[in-house]
Amino acid sequence: MFHGSGLFALLLMVLEWTRPGLSSPLRPICDLRVLDLYIKEAWDAEAAIRACKDDCSSATNFTVPLTSVDFDVWEAMNIEEQAQEVQSGIHVLNEAISSLQAFNQTDVIQSHIDATISNIVSIRQVLRSLSIPEYVPPTSGGEDKETQKASSVSELFQIHVNFLRGKVRLLLASAPVCHQGVS
Amino acid sequence: MRKMDGNGLKVVFMLCLAFVTTGGQSFESTVSQLLRDETEDLKCFVDRKKDLTCFWEVEEARNDQYTFMYSFENKKKMPCVVSSRFVLASNKTVFFCKLPKTLFFVALDVQVFRDGRTLYNRSLKAENVFFVDPPRNLTVMSSGKEGQLNVSWLPPLLKHMDDIMIYEVRYAVEGSHMGKVEEKAASTMLVLRDLQSGTRYKVWVRVKLDGVSYKSYWSSWTDPVFADTLPSDMDLLIVLLVLSIGLILFLLSLTVILSHHKFLLKKLWPDIPTPEHKFPGLFTVYKGDFKEWMSQNNGSIWGRSVHVFTEEPPSPVEILSEVSPTSYDTSPREERKPTEEVEESERTDSGLMGGWREPPHANWLMEQLRALQENPESLSQSTLLQSHDTYVALNQNSQHVQEVSERQTDDVFEETLPLQALFTTEGTSSLSASHSDLGSLPQSSGSGRLSSQSSFEDPNHTWPPKGPGYTYMAVADSGISMDYSPMSSSNIAELRKHRIYTNEYKNEIFGNKWPFSSQHVESGY
Repeated sequence: MFHGSGLFALLLMVLEWTRPGLSSPLRPICDLRVLDLYIKEAWDAEAAIRACKDDCSSATNFTVPLTSVDFDVWEAMNIEEQAQEVQSGIHVLNEAISSLQAFNQTDVIQSHIDATISNIVSIRQVLRSLSIPEYVPPTSGGEDKETQKASSVSELFQIHVNFLRGKVRLLLASAPVCHQGVS
Repeated sequence: MRKMDGNGLKVVFMLCLAFVTTGGQSFESTVSQLLRDETEDLKCFVDRKKDLTCFWEVEEARNDQYTFMYSFENKKKMPCVVSSRFVLASNKTVFFCKLPKTLFFVALDVQVFRDGRTLYNRSLKAENVFFVDPPRNLTVMSSGKEGQLNVSWLPPLLKHMDDIMIYEVRYAVEGSHMGKVEEKAASTMLVLRDLQSGTRYKVWVRVKLDGVSYKSYWSSWTDPVFADTLPSDMDLLIVLLVLSIGLILFLLSLTVILSHHKFLLKKLWPDIPTPEHKFPGLFTVYKGDFKEWMSQNNGSIWGRSVHVFTEEPPSPVEILSEVSPTSYDTSPREERKPTEEVEESERTDSGLMGGWREPPHANWLMEQLRALQENPESLSQSTLLQSHDTYVALNQNSQHVQEVSERQTDDVFEETLPLQALFTTEGTSSLSASHSDLGSLPQSSGSGRLSSQSSFEDPNHTWPPKGPGYTYMAVADSGISMDYSPMSSSNIAELRKHRIYTNEYKNEIFGNKWPFSSQHVESGY
C-alpha cells in the first residue's frame, strides 16, 4: 500500500507539471504573419470555390458573422467588446463550415474545407495565447445580432476571408499582450 | 449681403477642403496619378484617414446632373453628394464623391447616374483601394565602404499598417536615364551595393501595401535625394598593372645588364693597366726582380723595343761634319735654303744628335770633295771615322753606279741598305743637299755609287783613303731627310783643325711611310 500511494503521488506530480488538457500559458503569438498565412489559405479556398461556380456543393443558407468594420466605431470599442465580436464570429463560421461536411462535394473542395476547419482551430489557439477572452454564448432567448445569411458556399468562403482580414486581424494587431512595455 | 454670405461660405468651404487635403498628399496629385494608373472609368481610393472617394473625369465641363449612389453588403442604397474640380496637372475636370462612412471587409456597390441614366457601376471593397502617401524623410548616406550607399526612410502615416508595407527603391547615376529598382518588405532601410566608386547617385522610394489583408496602389515617388559613393582608394587592376609593368622593366634591365656585364664592368671598373706584357717573364719567372731579368735579357729587349719596326739590325754610319762659321757665312744665298732645311730638319733630332752644329752646305762640301780628290793622303790622318763605323764612300764609276742604281732600284728594297745615294761627278752640282726620301734613287747619268762598309778595324787605325776613285761625303741627317754632301780633302783637313763633329749614325731603314722614326746618333768630338 505504501508503494501504491507513492506511485499515486508521483503521478499527480507529473500531471500537475504537464497539466494535460488544461489551458497552459502559451507563448503569445504577436506575429501577424501567422494569421496572414491562414488568410492566404482562405483566399485560395475562396478562389477554388468561386471557380466551380456553386456547383461544388448543394448546401445553402448559412448563418455567417458580419464582416464590416467601421474604423471609427471599432476604435471606440474596448478590447473585451472587440474580443467578444471576434470570438462569436469565429464560432458562427466554424459551425457553418463544419455543416458542409454533411453534403457531397468534390475532393478539391473537401480538402479546402478541412484546411479551413483546421485553421480556425489554430486561430483560436492564437487568440488564447494572447489572453483574448473566450467566446461566451449569448443568453438563452437572445439572437446574435452580429450575423447574416449566406446563400451559397462561395459566399460563405468570401465571408470567411473578409472576417479574418478585418476583425480578427484588427484584434490581434491591438492585443494588449503584444504592446506591453510600449508607451 | 446674401451674395456676400454665399461667396463667403464658398470660400470657407474651399479653405476647409484645402486644409483637409493638405495633411497628406493633395487630392489633385492623387487624382492626377490615378488618372494615369487606374484603368477603371469610375476610380475610387481610400486615403490615410480611411475615407473612400470615387471620381470620374469629363471631357467637357457641361452642366450635367450627376447622381452617385452606393450601398454596403447589399443593404439599402444611399446617395452621395457629387462635387467637381479642375485638375491643373492633368488639365481635366473631375467629378467626385467622398463617402460619409466607409466599411471595410465588405462589398461596396457604387453607381453613377447622369441625367437619370446609369453612367458607371462598380462593385469593390474598400480595403483593396488604399492610396498610401509616399515614404517620409528619405536619407541616403555613404556606408563607409566602396561602392555602397545606405538608404533609409520613414513609413507613411497609416495606422497599424507599418508591417504590411512593401517599398521600392529606385537609384540611378546622376544624369543617366537608366536606373535600377530594388524591393524591400516591412523594413525602412536598404543598403545599395555594387555601385560605381566616386559617382553621384540619385535615389527615389515609393510604397504600397502587401495585399494580404489590405491592397493599395503604388504611392508616388519621393523627391530624389543625391549622394556620392566613396572614391576608390586603390584600384586593384591599376595596382596589378603597375606592378606587372615594373616587373617587366626590371627583368628587361636585368637582361641587358647581364648580357653586357663585361662592357659595363670595363667602363665602371676599368682594369689597371700593367706593363707586364712589355716585360715578358719579369713577374712570372723572375718574380719582379728587375735586375735579374735585365741580366737575362741583356739589352736585347731594349734594342728590340727601340727598333721594333726594323727588319734588320741597324748599321752605324759616321757622319762627318764641319763647323765653319766663315765659310758658312760666305756661302751663296741660294744655297742657304737647303742648308736651312738641313738645319731645321736636324733641329728636330737635336735630342738624339746631341747638338748638331752648322752643317756644311752643298757648295762647300763640293769643294771639300774636290780637295779631297786632289789630296787623298790628307784623309789618312783623319779621325773622322772610327774604324768600327760604317763610312760612306763615293765611287766615280758612273756606269757602274748607274747599273747598280738600276739594279738596286728594281731589286733591292730600300730599307735593306743603310745608305745609298747617287751623285754626279765632274763638277756637276747635282748633288742634292737634301734628299727628302732616303730611299730615293734618282737616276742620273754620271752619278756616283754609294756603298756602305762597316769595318771592324783597330780603333787607332786611321781611315785610309780609298784613292782617287772614292769621294767622301758628309751626310747630314735631320731625322726627316738625309743630306749627302761630298767632302773634299781640304774640307777634311779643315775638319781636323776645327772641332770635328762626328756622328755615329746607325741608320735605321724604315718603310717608305716612315723613313726616320727612330735614329740613334752618337756625337763625338
